[in-house]
Amino acid sequence: MSMKRLESRTALVTGGSRGIGAAIVRRLWSEGAKVHFTYRAAEDQAREVIASCGGAVSASALDVTDAVACEAVVDEATEKLGGLDIVVNNAGIIRDGLFLSMEDTDWAEVIETNLGGVFRICRAACRQMLMQGGGSIVNVSSIVGELGGVGQANYAASKGALNALTRSLAAELGPKGVRVNAVAPGMVRTDMTGAVRAVAAEKILERIPLGRFAEPEEIASAVAFLASDDAKYLTGQVVTVDGGLSLLGRR
Amino acid sequence: MQNEKSDILKTVTTVIAQALKVDEAQVQPGSSLIRDLGAESIDFLDIVFRLEKAFKIKIPKGELFPEKLLTDARFVQEGKVTAAGLEELKKRLSGADWTQFEKNPQVSSLGDLFTVGMIVEYLSGKLAATNR
Repeated sequence: MSMKRLESRTALVTGGSRGIGAAIVRRLWSEGAKVHFTYRAAEDQAREVIASCGGAVSASALDVTDAVACEAVVDEATEKLGGLDIVVNNAGIIRDGLFLSMEDTDWAEVIETNLGGVFRICRAACRQMLMQGGGSIVNVSSIVGELGGVGQANYAASKGALNALTRSLAAELGPKGVRVNAVAPGMVRTDMTGAVRAVAAEKILERIPLGRFAEPEEIASAVAFLASDDAKYLTGQVVTVDGGLSLLGRR
Repeated sequence: MQNEKSDILKTVTTVIAQALKVDEAQVQPGSSLIRDLGAESIDFLDIVFRLEKAFKIKIPKGELFPEKLLTDARFVQEGKVTAAGLEELKKRLSGADWTQFEKNPQVSSLGDLFTVGMIVEYLSGKLAATNR
């Protein structure tokens, strides 16, 4: 029998109960990885994800803005899985609104979750990865991080900074065998993008050369590739997975 | 007993060999981490993490390798460690041999003080204090 690509690898996925995160958990598990994921509040959905993986993955509640809790989850996952080879920082939120009416809390919550959360998880996880002699981190960014977007000043800023964080960690940790990359999805069919798709589906579709929105599984496949040894010479990169949306966006 | 210096040296040797991916035979008490063993800044953190695990202790930031001190204008001026800086360093790196460094206190040669033996001295004092 051929070995699965992520056989015996250990992985922590944040924000794994819904959308892209849930697809990532299932994909890593189906490729043979031992997976622990976190969720903020959606406990029922977390249970469904566990069930969809035959009960073979585990989960715990985590607010990634809580530094102590982030360290505890990394320790918990490391102990439970017997190591930590892969970390996928997927937990993220949106608080969309026009810039001039954006509240301080809309700004702070998005930055602290989407950017600060990755900082905190990575700091704890890299310590473990250093001692193991390496690892692979994949951050879930967004094309908005490069392009910007109306009503998404906070979200775009968090993702643009996440790309910079990705590159910096890759440069700093490469000598210790830790690879750090990001995936930048375009428009994906998830709950998070439901509102935008409801009001602007046609307009956005017109700008996607591949003519449709992404399925969460199509983002998960890029994440699994970056996490695996198939990408072992790849670090510090932001891989755009958007059906070509950003090509037209720049026209 | 873990606190015997020879035991400490043995563990430290293993830890450093693993962190720096060098042969244990290369790791001698007088070896400078940077000059002889090729350590870079991130390796110092790696070594601290591994020492904490191996000896089950907590090493406060900057206690073993005072990195922040070197960007402090009170302690370093024009590439040289000031008298105040030297005093501060001596307080922190009690296990280091200062005779060579004091003759020409260039920041660039400060790395020479970080030897395997210095780490053993540090841990020996630290463990004695913990077990007291």
